[in-house]
Amino acid sequence: MRLFKTILAFIVLITLFMLLNNNQGSIPPLGKFLNPFAGFWQNGSGDDQMAEVLDVKGLREEVTIVWDERQIPHVFAQNDYDAYFTQGFLTARHRLWQMEFQTHVAAGRVSEIIGPRAIDFDKLQRRRGLLSSAESYLNLINQDPETQLIVQAYANGVNTWIATLTPASLPLEYKLLNYKPEAWSTLKTALLQKYMAWDLTGRNSEMDLSVIRHALGEDFVERYYPEDTPRTDPIIPAAKPWRFEPLMPDVAQDFFTPQFIRNMNEPQPNENNGSNNWAVSGRKTRSGSPILANDPHLGLNLPSIWYEIQLNTPDMNVYGTSLPGAPAVIIGFNEDIAWGLTNAGTDVLDWFEIEFKDSSFQEYLYLDEWIPADMRIEEILVRDGDTVQDTFPITRFGPVVHFGEHILENGNPVGLAMRWSAHDPSNEMQAIRNMNLAHDLETFYQALDQYRVPGQNFAMATKTGDIAIRHNGHFPLRAKNEGKFVQSGRDTTGEWTQWIPPEHLPVISNPWRGYVSSANQNPVGKNYPYYMGWEYDDYERGARINEVLGSLKNIDLIDMQNLHTDHMNVQARRILPFLLKQVKTEKLTNEELEVLADLKQWNYLSVPNSRAALVYREWWVRIEEAIWNDELTINGTLRKIPTRSVTENLLLRKKNLEYYDNVLTKELVEDRQMIIRQAFEQMVYDLHVGLGDYGEAWELGRARGTDINHLLSVKGLGRTSLYTGGGKGIVNATNKKFGPSWRMMVEIGDSIRALGVYPGGQSGNPGSKFYDNAVDKWVKGEYYDLHFLGSPVSIQDKKFTMTRLRNYQ
Amino acid sequence: MINMLVSILLVLLLQLLFYSWWWIIIVPLILGFFEKDSVLKASLANGTGVFLLWFGMGLYAWKQGGEIIVSRVVEIMGAGSGFLLAIATGFIGFFVASIAGYAGFSLRRTLFKEYQV
Repeated sequence: MRLFKTILAFIVLITLFMLLNNNQGSIPPLGKFLNPFAGFWQNGSGDDQMAEVLDVKGLREEVTIVWDERQIPHVFAQNDYDAYFTQGFLTARHRLWQMEFQTHVAAGRVSEIIGPRAIDFDKLQRRRGLLSSAESYLNLINQDPETQLIVQAYANGVNTWIATLTPASLPLEYKLLNYKPEAWSTLKTALLQKYMAWDLTGRNSEMDLSVIRHALGEDFVERYYPEDTPRTDPIIPAAKPWRFEPLMPDVAQDFFTPQFIRNMNEPQPNENNGSNNWAVSGRKTRSGSPILANDPHLGLNLPSIWYEIQLNTPDMNVYGTSLPGAPAVIIGFNEDIAWGLTNAGTDVLDWFEIEFKDSSFQEYLYLDEWIPADMRIEEILVRDGDTVQDTFPITRFGPVVHFGEHILENGNPVGLAMRWSAHDPSNEMQAIRNMNLAHDLETFYQALDQYRVPGQNFAMATKTGDIAIRHNGHFPLRAKNEGKFVQSGRDTTGEWTQWIPPEHLPVISNPWRGYVSSANQNPVGKNYPYYMGWEYDDYERGARINEVLGSLKNIDLIDMQNLHTDHMNVQARRILPFLLKQVKTEKLTNEELEVLADLKQWNYLSVPNSRAALVYREWWVRIEEAIWNDELTINGTLRKIPTRSVTENLLLRKKNLEYYDNVLTKELVEDRQMIIRQAFEQMVYDLHVGLGDYGEAWELGRARGTDINHLLSVKGLGRTSLYTGGGKGIVNATNKKFGPSWRMMVEIGDSIRALGVYPGGQSGNPGSKFYDNAVDKWVKGEYYDLHFLGSPVSIQDKKFTMTRLRNYQ
Repeated sequence: MINMLVSILLVLLLQLLFYSWWWIIIVPLILGFFEKDSVLKASLANGTGVFLLWFGMGLYAWKQGGEIIVSRVVEIMGAGSGFLLAIATGFIGFFVASIAGYAGFSLRRTLFKEYQV
């Protein structure tokens, strides 16, 4: 009996140990996690302030860090190596888990952390080739001593920080997920940059368009998915003459119907995203100095996407935001030039249908011959599971991402290969470094010549008064509509053989109108000689920015703040009066009448407390659904619907259109007026069911608002239900989960005044007050002064503190 | 009381030096093994000692800059308040240490004849 009790006690004890030492589903290992000596209790704000003096192994000379009131480090180093080493050291101090986790996502290694449920994601990520692209990117970096030094110094800094960690000081997320950081490598930096390139690759709807063309015809696609989005005011004014002899692309493929994609869809970037940048000439500003403004919009998360920093060496003084995990400053300014980015949206990714000889996928048909594919074998390590092998072919059109078996009539299997410009080696690190060092437009352009992916619109303003914008990237030379549909990988016609030369890229400097701007819209008008794609953003934000900048004089930073948070819904201003006329008041309920009355009085501003803004937004979505969802639901999958401006134009101009009729209601033929009214009634009904009686709950900021979730979507670590306005097609394109990831404006002249804010904080530690300290200001549309320091000696203000990093051998 | 104090001090020392949570198993197991007289002393003294240590350290960390992280973990775990979270932390310590103390005590009585009836 005693033996039995002892054995039982030990069984219970061992079971308890196993339960408390390991994750149970999404529950962290409670023994470790609750351990007050090393668990979450140790992730408080005690480490917010760095020591005044720190001995750091690996530095070449002493480095001084000035911390401002928001924990932004201003790094003063004597050489480049120490500057980037310190950037790595500090970024890891604040963001280690985030930067490492994102590299796991990029490399398709999430299964190593969360187990078998991420295997499919990892497979897809590896087939997309981010890892192999990063490897070739790193090869290029290693051939250039200057950039090699930058990424190696950064990696050394990160690793020096990792070496200081104890079980108690590990970031919270490692404790939640129960794993430890590994050594940082230069490959991880390359991976992060490729991941950013992937995130910003833009929309690629060729699978949808191929299916739509097959089902509804060439004419439908030509008419409703045009190259030129209606009403777009292009980034480079359409009247600009192009004085170069353009290269001639090969002829595009004839009509090709892929066999494999009928039920396939590739995830697309969220269409609610929308970045803006502009630069205003000193001729239009109160101070006489040019002003640059930028608000790149991305999916919002905590820890924040950006890490703010100033880097100062004898040869460089640059301030701005960096990507946690990569050295240098991506968006920012130095003493001579300020720059900001928006996504280019030009087509840099194509899909090709590849015919294979058999289901081994080792040979594919190209120019009537069977060509051997390079087979890549990926080993996916799985936490609490067996290692998974994934083998996929790489063709001359890129890696095969999706497979189908025995699809063709001849029994041969097919696959879809992805050709992406970021698969080609290019050294963006060198470009970014040179941007940080640029001192005028010419040197900035030279840096941009090396910057290939992701395609971006770079707006610039210089101390000497120049402003410019360039639609920049490595863009394939295309025949018209090439890349709009899935192409055949059996011949040469879709292959990328030539590129638009950098000197032919759309660019304009010091235009007569006194400003440049971009909002992800089509970069050029009809007279630009190259076809670059068609999936640019709609006209509204660009039109509104140009409308405001065109009308303003004596511009100051307050005007720029107002424009960043501009809530004018240009689309509603154009079409709402028409829509309202279609809704006759007979037979409407009291609630519907009340909603209608508010809409009639609306000033088109999508401010947080506007009910009309929410109502209009929901009404429009239902109108689009009523027109398109029946025709464009093909084989059970809803395909890409036309842009807002196309639908808007149809409604305003076409009283009769076959697509107004819902083909699913056989007994009824809907017309324009009927679908608009039905959509209105449906909208009021749906909102009533979801939100209750018409009242406060219908305000845009309450019903939609914004959620900034933690990267792992852990409840309690995000900031949710933020009272925000804005939305799709509005300059302040804030949405439920997307928004301005960084708002910055710089007035650059003999002196520099800069303001900025991002929705989060410098620290990645959820236990720090600097984790989300800027969120409230961001919600209100307020800014912080960005302290661009000349030297560490200039500090008198009590808001600054200092840390000396001493070289310790 | 002595048993409890020894338990507190040993676990405190080892956890400050080596961090691992399972010292709350090892120390009570050993102390329980060397407790000759009372199963209650072996089990509850260790359990209570670890409870006080973990609960107290939790409260200390909470009040020394841990306010934000505690409030977030309270939300993650639905613990109600920081105080209750500290109690829960202490209780897990109590539970594990009590069983470990009992297991140690029981092992000795199984191994050595003088304790067998």
